[in-house]
Amino acid sequence: MPMQNIPIIETRRLVLRAPETEDYPDFKATFSSYRSRFMGGPLNKYEAWMLYAAEIGHWSIRGYGMWMIHDRETDRTLGMAGGWSPAGWPEREIAWIIWPGEAGKGYALEATHAARLHLYEQMGWDGAVSYIDPKNLNSIRLAERLGAVKDHAAQTIDGNDAVYRHPAPDRLRSGQLSDGIELEIAHYSDPALRPKGMPVD
Amino acid sequence: MTLQLTFPTLHSQNLTLRGPQAADFEPLCAFLLDHERAGGFGAEDDRPQAWRWFALNIGHWALHGYGYFTIVDRATNQPCGLTGVWNPEGWPEPELGWGIWDAAHEGKGYAEEAAMAARAYAYGTLGWTTAVSYIDAENAPSIALAKRLGCALDPEASLPELPDWEGTLVYRHPAPEAL
Repeated sequence: MPMQNIPIIETRRLVLRAPETEDYPDFKATFSSYRSRFMGGPLNKYEAWMLYAAEIGHWSIRGYGMWMIHDRETDRTLGMAGGWSPAGWPEREIAWIIWPGEAGKGYALEATHAARLHLYEQMGWDGAVSYIDPKNLNSIRLAERLGAVKDHAAQTIDGNDAVYRHPAPDRLRSGQLSDGIELEIAHYSDPALRPKGMPVD
Repeated sequence: MTLQLTFPTLHSQNLTLRGPQAADFEPLCAFLLDHERAGGFGAEDDRPQAWRWFALNIGHWALHGYGYFTIVDRATNQPCGLTGVWNPEGWPEPELGWGIWDAAHEGKGYAEEAAMAARAYAYGTLGWTTAVSYIDAENAPSIALAKRLGCALDPEASLPELPDWEGTLVYRHPAPEAL
């Protein structure tokens, strides 16, 4: 079972790469914190390490997985985004998490938009969902900014999650939606245009 | 630093020890869901949890360069168990473990043969100078195997700080020079 050659995705401010050994302390810090409460956490150090190992094994088994998001300039890690579909998931998911200290800068939007495009255009996905805790308002807002719509009919993981369905590849290709997302990302990148008010991921 | 995933292949008299492969998942899952058989190894409650273990073992290999091998019976070419070295965060020291997946492959000395090959790999290639096995006090077959492998109880050794681990025994393997 060879390791998938995990592609590198570059965006305006970010580089998405394979999760590596030296990134683990940052992952552990977030998954040990309250920030991870909607992703099965907080975890103890044993559980956090096991989850990190599972994230890597997921790449090998499925051929896709969660990328580690890095700041393009400093290389520091900011969070993770990518495709996620362990056993028991009704459909393939697009997922994201941003470290608590890095929230509010539009990193999740920028990383997830790029990861979704890669999964659609390079890895052949024809659609995706995101399973989101109904109390996780920031993630619901992000899903909606990405053009995802709540799908009341879709099967949930365990009844405690809401299913947001992402736009299909051809809708993203058509322009208007992608243009809007890219404009919002551009605003985050430009100090003069950066959104004011409540920070969102 | 790049993520590496390479699996050595070991051969003993009857067995091949190799890295996990996709086809191992179904028999592994059946084993992990059997609380009687896998209780000592670490049983799982459902298929998603078993898949999670399958995935994290691969990640363990990627992060550490070692993990659980799949044991293959060379006579039938069937995967039939696990042995290897385990060292997730929270483990006081690396552990040598084993498990045979079904009754058809029991009673042949396969666990002993495989564990000896994995231990030789840990001492030789990985350069370890010691190893322990954490064994439930009620797991008589594994205690007997640990003794056949030359292990002795180490009452001074620490246990992983996890719930429900009270009563777990630490068997220490003979040092490389004693073998």
